[in-house]
Amino acid sequence: MNTIAYSSPFVPVEWIVAHGLRPHWLRLRAAAGRPLVATARGVCPYAGALVDAALAGIEAAGVVLTTICDQMRYAAALLASRGSCPVFLLNVPSTWQTAAVRKLYLDELRRLGRFLVQLGGQSPGDADLAQVMLAYDRARLAVRAAREWLSARQFADALAELRGPAWGLSQFSPERKWDCPLPFPNERKWDCPLRSPNVPLAGGIALAILGGPLLEADYALFDLVEQAGGRVVLDATEGGERTLPAPFDPARIASPPLEELAHAYFDAIADAFRRPNDKLYEWLGRELATRQVRGIIFRRYVWCDLWHAELQRLKQWSPVPVLELDAGPDDTSAPNRMQGRVEAFLEMLLTPAQPVP
Amino acid sequence: MNNTSNDTPQRITLAEWEKRYAELRAAGLCEPAYGGPLRRHVDDGDRRLLKLRMDNSAASLRLWNFLLTEEERLHRYAAEGKRLVGTMKDLGTVPVMAYSLSNLVAFYPDGAWWLPCVMENGSGLLPLGDSVGIDDSFCPVRALLGAFLNRAHFPLPGLLTCSVGATCDDLSAIAQRLESLGFPILWWEIPHRRHPDPQEAAVELPGGFRAPADQVALVRSELERVQEALEAYAGQRLTDERLSAGIARANQVRRSLAALRQLVFTAKACPLPALEMLIAEMLAIHFCSDQNETIAVVAELLEEAGRRVQAGAGVLQRDAVRVFWVNPVADLRVMNLLEDVGGRACGTDYMFCHALDIIPENLPPLEALARIALADPMVGSAVDRAQRICTDVRRFGAEAVVVSRIPGASHCAMEAPLIGDVVRAQSDVPVLEIEVPPISDAMEPTLRTRLEALVETVKEHRVRGSGFRVRGSGFRV
Repeated sequence: MNTIAYSSPFVPVEWIVAHGLRPHWLRLRAAAGRPLVATARGVCPYAGALVDAALAGIEAAGVVLTTICDQMRYAAALLASRGSCPVFLLNVPSTWQTAAVRKLYLDELRRLGRFLVQLGGQSPGDADLAQVMLAYDRARLAVRAAREWLSARQFADALAELRGPAWGLSQFSPERKWDCPLPFPNERKWDCPLRSPNVPLAGGIALAILGGPLLEADYALFDLVEQAGGRVVLDATEGGERTLPAPFDPARIASPPLEELAHAYFDAIADAFRRPNDKLYEWLGRELATRQVRGIIFRRYVWCDLWHAELQRLKQWSPVPVLELDAGPDDTSAPNRMQGRVEAFLEMLLTPAQPVP
Repeated sequence: MNNTSNDTPQRITLAEWEKRYAELRAAGLCEPAYGGPLRRHVDDGDRRLLKLRMDNSAASLRLWNFLLTEEERLHRYAAEGKRLVGTMKDLGTVPVMAYSLSNLVAFYPDGAWWLPCVMENGSGLLPLGDSVGIDDSFCPVRALLGAFLNRAHFPLPGLLTCSVGATCDDLSAIAQRLESLGFPILWWEIPHRRHPDPQEAAVELPGGFRAPADQVALVRSELERVQEALEAYAGQRLTDERLSAGIARANQVRRSLAALRQLVFTAKACPLPALEMLIAEMLAIHFCSDQNETIAVVAELLEEAGRRVQAGAGVLQRDAVRVFWVNPVADLRVMNLLEDVGGRACGTDYMFCHALDIIPENLPPLEALARIALADPMVGSAVDRAQRICTDVRRFGAEAVVVSRIPGASHCAMEAPLIGDVVRAQSDVPVLEIEVPPISDAMEPTLRTRLEALVETVKEHRVRGSGFRVRGSGFRV
């Protein structure tokens, strides 16, 4: 079975799986050694890491990127020009208000389907696609329901698993109350302390983390927050809950399923790149209130204009304090700096507000 | 009538322009209402003029005055009751539509990106950008935020449009920030132009690119939304007849600019400096807020260039190295620098080649504009853009390519290696990458050294008799 690598939440995993291919959700490592582009001036560290990884050789029959950021658009051109692996650039419109752009996204999924067939996939029938969609839907529901029982990092890892292959999805049963270690699709055991089953995690100052995609090493941030007395209860990064598709509507899934798939992804995912992007704030407002979040960690890459430009607006809008964590491409002081800032942020949140004299 | 005894083409300083202006006046120079000595613009804050060397022709004087009086023009229009449309990012499409309606004036707020340079940071626009969270890690186009906030440069437009999708993240992010500050924007989608699949209906675009017919249809539908907004704002119908007439006027500018580029870039002696050519090309984007005057200004430049070519006169040494320039410079001074070190511009891609391409007049007008919008070199792959650059390198006989980075611009991070790959694969002309900040004085030694090295390299090859071969070129260099 051929593998298709991808890194954007706007690429429906169900569509890859329904073609009989293995999806590989890229969790990239920061470029090391002599990277080709990751440390070049102006290059987003994430886009650079992707290019470097792909040029070094990703074990995949094809790579799917999207147009949701300009640097990824250029990364696709660079990989198509210099790399050896076929690259598909999925056009995801920035605007969302018209039927025309929705149709463009749907047409792009069809075009992606043809690309997948060229790489050994088989065009799925509606029933097959619907079945895959429902399996993923159930799994997402199960993972979401299990959030309270998982550490933030476990939850982030579980979400990443959901963007992977379908086999073993039955592990994500809505009825199951998870304990640790959890058997996951790839048979990996969780590296986490054992907890009593069915007991939700408690304690810690509730935080949200917001921003674009994370590199592999960045997931240490979730642990760091817990060690400092907090807990990430809302993962609004690009790999987190923010970018999960809407649950499929059973009434619409049969007519035809690809349209419902496009709707669940294109219409539901809130992101900074959308124009206008007010839905991001609507979504965030709802989730912050529901989860009683007391602070937001805003994680952005140097040279990521789309997220960087949101920082001040977020600070002005947010009902809770916002901590900015920026990340450069080769910043060796980043871990210590990040730790110091997170600890200070949590200490500030722990301190009761003093009345103004 | 405008000729004087000192008509030898040359690049002169602002101080020298004072004497030159007096000469021209004495010789009977007739100027439009916005005319006058260039010195007055410095008094208005445009201090960068003091560091520039400008062409000494009456045609160039008119060009500079036209450029530097745009703000006054916009304020006058607003006072007269004309309706202003700010057209962000599309670089040459929506303005054609707006100028097809008699009571609309389109301008390009992104053009504020040159104000920090022209006013040598005296505009205060960049600190205003900082104050709303858009710092110097962004492209200098962030100056537009300050211009909206301090209202000291252009009157606020009653309608703002912005193309998004396959556009620079920096402009898209800055425009979103602008909207969040209370300036509503009509967003319209420009998709990433892709190559048509083998069995897919495709359309040939102006400039030579091809796109799937579905993408053209999408852009056309987006432009219909823009059309509705323009009509509602103007209180007039934008009929096909009006739009066709507007396209014809835009093409008049484009044809003149095409003739000017061909003449200047292929002449043995360079008849017009790179700086004036850059400004002239820019006029195509939104006609500097006066379409008819743009036609006249470009016509006069063309006439002047033609006269100089006929006389075999140029502003530079005849052995100047022929350089193809990619991307506009944030600091205008660098176009002087290229010539100071022995180069000349022979071919350009200032990111708006589609604003120079002729708009098809044998198609329904919105279809024609959709095709032009998709012909934007920046909305497709950088490899496609590089192909077009190679075509123009051959056409104009360029001996080197300079890719000029714009600090903080998202497209600049990875485009130079891509362009370099393609250019090197199709020719053996050297490719140089530089970065130009809004005020480059501190970096001038570095920039000068790099450009000098490029020029010397090309000249060394000439001495050896090999030259740099450009496959398919009719030029021997």
